[in-house]
Amino acid sequence: MRVLGKISLKTTVMTIYVLGVLGSIVLVFSLISVKFIGVPNIVNVLRQSVPALLVGTSVTLLMISGNIDLSVGGIVGLSSVIYAICLKAGIGYLWAAILTLLLGLTIGLINGLLVVKMRIVPVIATLATMSLSIGLGKLLSPDGIGLIKGLPEDVIKFARTGFLLKLPIAFYVTVIVVGMLVVIQKKTVLGKYSAAIGGNKVAAELSGINTKLIIWILYAIVGLFSSLGGIARASLLSLGDPTTGTGMEMDAMIAVVLGGTSYTGGEGSVLRTTVGVLILTCLTAGMQVIGIAPYWQSLVKGMVLIFAVTINSLVKEKIIEIIE
Amino acid sequence: MQMKVDSCKPAESKISNLTFINLSMLGVLAVVFVAASLIVPRFFDINNISNLIAQQAEIIILGIGVTFLLITGHFDMSVGGIVSLGAVVSAYLCQAKTAGASDLASGLGMGYGKAIIITLLCCMLIGVINAFFIVKVKVNSVVVTLGTMAFSRGVAMIIAKGAQRITGLPPEYKQIGQYTVIGTINIAVIIMIFLLIIALIVENKTAFGRRIYLIGANQVAAKLSGIKVEREISLLYITSAFLAGVAGIVMASRFNAGNCTLGTGYEFDALVITVLGGTSIAGGFGSVVCAVVGAFILGILSTSVNMLGFQPAMQMLVKGFVIIAAILAQRFALDKRKV
Repeated sequence: MRVLGKISLKTTVMTIYVLGVLGSIVLVFSLISVKFIGVPNIVNVLRQSVPALLVGTSVTLLMISGNIDLSVGGIVGLSSVIYAICLKAGIGYLWAAILTLLLGLTIGLINGLLVVKMRIVPVIATLATMSLSIGLGKLLSPDGIGLIKGLPEDVIKFARTGFLLKLPIAFYVTVIVVGMLVVIQKKTVLGKYSAAIGGNKVAAELSGINTKLIIWILYAIVGLFSSLGGIARASLLSLGDPTTGTGMEMDAMIAVVLGGTSYTGGEGSVLRTTVGVLILTCLTAGMQVIGIAPYWQSLVKGMVLIFAVTINSLVKEKIIEIIE
Repeated sequence: MQMKVDSCKPAESKISNLTFINLSMLGVLAVVFVAASLIVPRFFDINNISNLIAQQAEIIILGIGVTFLLITGHFDMSVGGIVSLGAVVSAYLCQAKTAGASDLASGLGMGYGKAIIITLLCCMLIGVINAFFIVKVKVNSVVVTLGTMAFSRGVAMIIAKGAQRITGLPPEYKQIGQYTVIGTINIAVIIMIFLLIIALIVENKTAFGRRIYLIGANQVAAKLSGIKVEREISLLYITSAFLAGVAGIVMASRFNAGNCTLGTGYEFDALVITVLGGTSIAGGFGSVVCAVVGAFILGILSTSVNMLGFQPAMQMLVKGFVIIAAILAQRFALDKRKV
């Protein structure tokens, strides 16, 4: 059903709803503590959401096709370790980054191989790669305790030091990446085909879409940008930590679902996932600012996910009712 | 994708697919055990082996719940969180009520038996929440249960303030986990065996068990033939949560503390052992025997890796490889059986 020209009713409703949630959260936290709206906090929030944005937006594309990737956290962790090791070994920033990105791409391709060629269910396949990534990351870290410190001082220039408007280079890189992913999702064949696969895999296959290739590419993209997220993490924290990405697969899923993308695939929006990521980061930062102990976070995230998923279902039903 | 109903037999064979897989995986277990005994020094030692068995108790208990749900085609990723909830709540409930002590040192001072019952009820409540969202609201089970996992662990973390409740626990608290009957076989192992026997009976001898397999094979057909699919699946989620609570109480007893980090990652491990042992992730096929075999294979491999002097992280690599290998091998074997 077309309402505003090319935008369907559901998309409009979801977009308004998601922006509304973000707005309310920002409002509530600002009212509780003026510090929340202050520049240092805004910069902090945006800076910290870089890895989550990279992971979340690439995962959105994948979830639109109906597939899942639980290994992203592991890829982020392993990437931060590899990046740190490269830097300590004296390899320049550029080559360290290239090597790390290639690694992420490879893991993504492996995921694709397991899911597409070996037809292993995504949940198990990506669980296996997650195990492999974290395991490898821990093995490469000193004493298996896993923190690679002593990185050159300039490392924070990528994701922490202010570059333009106090925001780091990594932030602008992320903006570009997200922009690319939005374009891919909305305008390119890759985006449209993934939606088709998510909507009805058999039909997509029968209409000539090379589902195997598409899904493979999607996993590769997730791997690539997850490793970029790992580089950003390493830069942000000035250390390599194989467990730094723990929980990111869940955060990504929460952001995607919050943004209204159907987890069974078929439709979704990278832009709305971005808002979803910001909602999550604001929530965590907000709780920190007003002084809620960190161990409340798990509860809050769990509730947010369940809440988001329910709203998703209800909205879908309501829209169908309205249309009919 | 071909549906392999577990009682299907290829024309030329006397044993069903499920028996075939079970026997094959038992064979793998035997091979792994023998290899470990030969390669790993001090492996073939009665203490080591009984330790191994005792260590698997909790994950196998979780595996029972996960297996039944997986047979119907549903996931339960919340078990790890419920384990920690069970651990912390059981500690909180029977911690001595000390006036004026810090928050973490004072509990509700209930008797141990009462504490266990209430803890299990709380855990079953999470199962109800799971069932509600998955069956009534019809949300994807992976997503919902990941949410309830975070939620349960969150509650546990709040009650334990991110740490653990360890003081003022009654002396009975550590009995389940620490009182040993023979060697290192403790009450936990006995509970595990007891639950396994019940599970096997339900699986093979009850109508309920039959219905579970039917739901897994074809949910629509099951519903049309009168099976109350929604009720059965809800029951399974509540049972899985109950079992996770039991595992949590057992674990807390073993450490004599209600620690909120207990059970981290157990939802993944439970899934891994279930699938490793042969339960199909597509549903309709599997058995708790698979979970047991899977748990021991993984247990032997992990212990061996440890005893051979490798870093603990190596276990994660082994886990990843093993699970991929197992799934491929099982699929290959079943395909070749010419059903």
